[in-house]
Amino acid sequence: MANVLDLRRRIRSVKNTRQITKAMKMVSAAKLRRAQERALAARPYARMIVSVLESLRRRVDLFDEKSGNICNPLFITRPEKRVLLIVISGDKGFAGAFNANILKTAYQFIAGNPDKEIDIEAVGRKGRDQLRRRYPTAVYTDQTDEHGVTHKIRGPRKGPVEVTGDHPGLLIKLETSRVFDLAHNIISRYTHEGIDAAYLVYNEFKSVIAQRLVVERLLPLIDFTGPQITGAVEPSAEQKERAAEAALSAGIDIEPADTAEADEEAKKFGTTNVDYIYEQPAEQLFAGLLPQYIFSVLFHAMTESVAAEHAARMTAMDSATNNASDMIDALTLHMNRVRQAAITKEIIEIVSGAAAL
Amino acid sequence: MADETNQLRVRLVTPERTLFEADATAVELPSTTGDLEVLYGHAPLMAELGAGDVRIHTGAGIESTSPETARYNVSWGFVEVLPARVTILANDALKPEEIDVPRAQQQLDRGQKMWNEAGDSEDAYTDALRVISEAEAKITSAAEATQTH
Repeated sequence: MANVLDLRRRIRSVKNTRQITKAMKMVSAAKLRRAQERALAARPYARMIVSVLESLRRRVDLFDEKSGNICNPLFITRPEKRVLLIVISGDKGFAGAFNANILKTAYQFIAGNPDKEIDIEAVGRKGRDQLRRRYPTAVYTDQTDEHGVTHKIRGPRKGPVEVTGDHPGLLIKLETSRVFDLAHNIISRYTHEGIDAAYLVYNEFKSVIAQRLVVERLLPLIDFTGPQITGAVEPSAEQKERAAEAALSAGIDIEPADTAEADEEAKKFGTTNVDYIYEQPAEQLFAGLLPQYIFSVLFHAMTESVAAEHAARMTAMDSATNNASDMIDALTLHMNRVRQAAITKEIIEIVSGAAAL
Repeated sequence: MADETNQLRVRLVTPERTLFEADATAVELPSTTGDLEVLYGHAPLMAELGAGDVRIHTGAGIESTSPETARYNVSWGFVEVLPARVTILANDALKPEEIDVPRAQQQLDRGQKMWNEAGDSEDAYTDALRVISEAEAKITSAAEATQTH
């Protein structure tokens, strides 16, 4: 049986752990608040892009009347043979099942499409590490053509699923220019028929209690009116309750911020019922706007995912803190019992010693 | 259609946040096909923006002796003009003081390198041109800022 000294040491160690988890929880709460603000600040732009595209689409024919060509390659749908999967996970652990759940959804997607060739683009360090271990990395070789220009030529596939790229550190400081680069990369692969469709896997975050894992179609563009979500996993009621508890104790609002007014305002962008003068031909406007749209979908997914990661970490650390407190209580009780037993034993020894005299 | 104010409501929105929102008397915009100036009561217009400076003239009015101007260097975006409202969607917008000139210079060099290496791919030229014009616009904008201050 453990003696009092051992128990006291253990209690002290658990107390230290509790200190750490508590601090991590508060840090995550602060980061979550900032991430939420950023996600909110990014909303008007995304809304405006969507509404201007909608209105442009209403007014302008997608097909060129004379040639019958579709006016932008991103509208073309092809049979899905090669699919790009963009997996947005977290950069760090200690966030409960956050990263595991995202990867699970990604694996499910891959398992559900066994006859397709899937390229994976991993955003976030945790997801990248896991996916790299599981799937081979695509091989590129540089080739120089007769004009002295180097092209990256992709080597033969090693399997139906390959990791084509990763973006370490993209989420730590979300820079628009890097997300733009990613968007352009995806678009160029789509227009050059390297891929037939692109899907995003990420954790959507509306508020602490309203979040879900979604699979969203990025390309081809079929509809702009809302996110083209093809699969979603909602957290259980129990998980939601835990998250709400954690948020409450860290002083975070659990309701999503009210942005109805700003949204209404943003929706008006480009949709007023008047005849616009288009400075450039419609095709050119589409060509300029569509990359912006892809970018804004990606950027939105990343800001949400960052917020969700912090929320998950906050919840996990809150649970850890509570568990540590429970453990300290149990250990203290146990320690007191042991101490009492030792005292009782000593008294019995003294009394029986005196009786023997 | 003039009322007492004759003011345009101008908003400058970037992917990260709404950068500027206020009333103005006139706005100058760098469209891809040339510069535009918008006053109150302009016909509805939709245009793609290139790289350059957006000048937002605030202050009492055009007749005012000291009209104030807010200047932002934007690269790529869209603008919607309505008779009383201008909304600018920019990929990136910076105040002239915030421009990192050495970095813009590097960007210019990179663009010129891209141009030289483009071979006969049309896409590569377009990309190079974009990089060059963006860098040039930033450098000019920054240079103007140092002159006036």
